[in-house]
Amino acid sequence: MSNMIEVKDLVLIYSNGTKAVDNISFNVKKGEFFGFLGPNGAGKSTTIKVLTTLLRKTSGSVHVAGYNLDKDAKEIRKMIGVQSQETAVDGDLTGRENLMLQGHFQQLPSKTLKERVDELLKLVDLEKVADKRARNYSGGMKKRLDLATTLVHRPQLLFLDEPTTGLDPQSRLAIWEYLEKLNKKEKTTIFLTTQYMEEADRLCRTLAIIDTGKIVASGSPNELKQQLGVDSIKITLKDCAKDRTTAIDLLKSLTGVSNITESGDCLTAFAKNASQLIADIVRALDSLEIRLAGISFSSPTLDDVYLQKTGKRIRTEDLVKTPSATFMGRRR
Amino acid sequence: MTLLSDTRYLFVRYLKKLIRNPILLFFSLVQPIIFLVLFTQLFERFANVPGFPAESYLIFATPGILLQNAFGSALQSGNSIVSDMDTGYLQKMLVTPVSRYAILLGRLTSDAFRVLIQSTIIMILAFIMGATPVTGILGMLLMLLTIAFFGLAWSGISLAIGLKTRSSETVFAFGSFLTFPLLFMSTALTPLDFMPDWIQTVSKLNPISYTVDAVRVLMINGFVWDTILSAYLVIGLVALITLGSTLYLFRKVVS
Repeated sequence: MSNMIEVKDLVLIYSNGTKAVDNISFNVKKGEFFGFLGPNGAGKSTTIKVLTTLLRKTSGSVHVAGYNLDKDAKEIRKMIGVQSQETAVDGDLTGRENLMLQGHFQQLPSKTLKERVDELLKLVDLEKVADKRARNYSGGMKKRLDLATTLVHRPQLLFLDEPTTGLDPQSRLAIWEYLEKLNKKEKTTIFLTTQYMEEADRLCRTLAIIDTGKIVASGSPNELKQQLGVDSIKITLKDCAKDRTTAIDLLKSLTGVSNITESGDCLTAFAKNASQLIADIVRALDSLEIRLAGISFSSPTLDDVYLQKTGKRIRTEDLVKTPSATFMGRRR
Repeated sequence: MTLLSDTRYLFVRYLKKLIRNPILLFFSLVQPIIFLVLFTQLFERFANVPGFPAESYLIFATPGILLQNAFGSALQSGNSIVSDMDTGYLQKMLVTPVSRYAILLGRLTSDAFRVLIQSTIIMILAFIMGATPVTGILGMLLMLLTIAFFGLAWSGISLAIGLKTRSSETVFAFGSFLTFPLLFMSTALTPLDFMPDWIQTVSKLNPISYTVDAVRVLMINGFVWDTILSAYLVIGLVALITLGSTLYLFRKVVS
């Protein structure tokens, strides 16, 4: 068994008729750090719910950790750890009690469990507050506790549904480092969904982008960027409503521009020779008296891949560092 | 047996939640205590009416107040399952190999336990005020058991509604909606003979009356097994319906 997850022709239609997952197939290798990206409502969480035995699929075949989902759901549950988007810790229980209870659910013998719980509390840096009620924890602490509860039984496969959403940069960095360690040292296969490209780029070795229930692209982050093969030029207009159409027409007329997408007050043009084009663009816009608020270009990022594949821009806030000035600059 | 050990772990979880929110437990006891202290005072002279089946109104109404409390508590039982669904905790349990039925059983047993504690407190208070059961300690224990079984049966309705609507407001509204009409149209607070004819009819069909009567004979008359057994029969029937529908809806949620 070299694949931890095998999904073939998976379809999920909700009882109200919504087709949330539309005939997707993919494999996740053992030991892989796999990223599942897509806009809200694309089908990420639904797919996770099917893979983690919470939702019954409409059709298709699914194997998780070598077990057939239809026959051996119970075996699968012993192999996996799942962190859902909601931070599900019991606020009336202490951190330690939350972990112990989760260990009992996994049928761990008491003695091993106690040691494991101590180890995990240390790992997620909650030793000092271990015997305080989780209700009083900060958001980051709850998230860390939640993550720890999914690891009690040393799962071979970990599902993380947006594990760092809503965390401060410091906590996020800590979780990233921990996940990398878990993947490398303990060989835990990780299936992660995220809305943050930087997170996917840093952590995942393989990605799949899902949009409206279909997988629209997959490969390693580098492969995806190379597939795109073009630089992107981000153009922010002072008066977007007035000038947008003129600007788009103008950009289209320039040689080398292969594609233009719109998002918010920002236009993005894709071109091979961005560094040469940028001067032309500024000059041409100026001659039409279109005022620029900003312009920058960059080599392909996952953001751009995502934007091109889904037509939507993912959250662009910088996650760990504060953004440097990008006006006329080149960023990576 | 993982079912038993899982049930125990979940029972302990709910118990901890209960003990750690003592204010909630306190407020749930306020209403029955008001009834016990004020209501029985207000209706004290009711006992002087010829044909009243007990020597004081207090001793007559204590079984009714006990069941009123059990009924009210049981009807809020669905709230906790709604809260587990809202916070994602139910899902968190469902992705583990934990026994599915233990989730329900842990809930039900802890609800019954809660009713047991509340009932003991009310019973002791009533005892201090002068309501001494003729059947003694043994009768008291049987009373508590009957009340707990009664609570268990009715919490099924609340759980079913919680599972179906996923809204604690609905659970709460339904509970309050059902409590008073069913209680007033039973023998909980008034002797059957004192009621208007139509309410007598309703009361005879009302499952609560049967349980009240059983607890009351233990309080006033002794071990009248006919009355006690018919109460268990009725409670069993209620349990079958409410817990059956809970089980059906729960299966839909966990599958």
